[in-house]
Amino acid sequence: MAVTVRIPTPLRTLTKGEEQVSAEGTTVRAVIEHLEQKHPGMRDRLLDEKGIRRFVNVYLGDEDVRFLEGLDTALKAGDELSIIPAIAGG
Amino acid sequence: MLLVGLGGLGCPAALALARAGVGTLRMIDDDVVDEANLHRQILYGPEDVGRDKLDAAGHALGPVARASGTRVEFVRSRFLPDNARELARGVDLVIEGADNFATKFLAADACHLEHRPVVHGAGLRWVGTAWSVAPGGRPCYRCLFEDVPSGPQLNCDGAGVMGPVVGIVGALMAELALRALSGRGARPELWTLDGKTDTLREVPVAARASCPLCGTAPSILDIDEARYLSDRSALAESASS
Repeated sequence: MAVTVRIPTPLRTLTKGEEQVSAEGTTVRAVIEHLEQKHPGMRDRLLDEKGIRRFVNVYLGDEDVRFLEGLDTALKAGDELSIIPAIAGG
Repeated sequence: MLLVGLGGLGCPAALALARAGVGTLRMIDDDVVDEANLHRQILYGPEDVGRDKLDAAGHALGPVARASGTRVEFVRSRFLPDNARELARGVDLVIEGADNFATKFLAADACHLEHRPVVHGAGLRWVGTAWSVAPGGRPCYRCLFEDVPSGPQLNCDGAGVMGPVVGIVGALMAELALRALSGRGARPELWTLDGKTDTLREVPVAARASCPLCGTAPSILDIDEARYLSDRSALAESASS
């Protein structure tokens, strides 16, 4: 079951510049694991030992998954995940 | 209002606000203009390299500020734990375009504690973000990003930033500030700009009950320098490079 994941600029070095990629999984956790297989290093950029890193947000459509079921949030085919990291700079 | 950082975001924001006639535009920075700033920090020219940013910005803004009746004031310092609350208290609104997380979280905390609205902006490489937080408002910056990241982080010095991206985001910050001052309030939405796809998105932000700053049982009741130490080196450097 495929979902679309929007990749923010700082992480596109891991996806060879692709701004969105397809990944398989029925939960956010499974999708991140699949992303790690396809794009090594992605898991470490998104997760730490406590779950989703504090300065990273993962959205399912317009909903922050922290307000759903976090990494266990269920996904269906065609869903869109967006990764929004905190950035500093200017 | 107080503008924290006269870098790639602060320059276009300052220009728009000075032209808008915002009463008093107070700007804080202690950096000097570097040649590497010139592609995006639009208040400065090659002749300003080595000059204090405040002096160069004051020179550039002078005619438009006089025309609009805006008073431009300078604070030759950094935005730090020991002056943050006082600086926030002294204005109606704070705009921060700092290039480090410590200053961003410090601005969020100080503004919340002083019940001042704050507009946050950031830009890196091809991406930029901006959002506006109401006085004492929820959601706040910590609802979304929680705490100062530990370890080395990308910033403009290391990763670079596209000038037009911060130009757009800086102008958007000024618009958000003017909207807040006009009483139209802050919407709980994070604007994200992707300069590679020319995509501007509004991402809804929800208040977090467990937020240590604005949640139901807040633990951040004052400014404690230790809270920002994981990004201490950034606090010690300029906020706008």
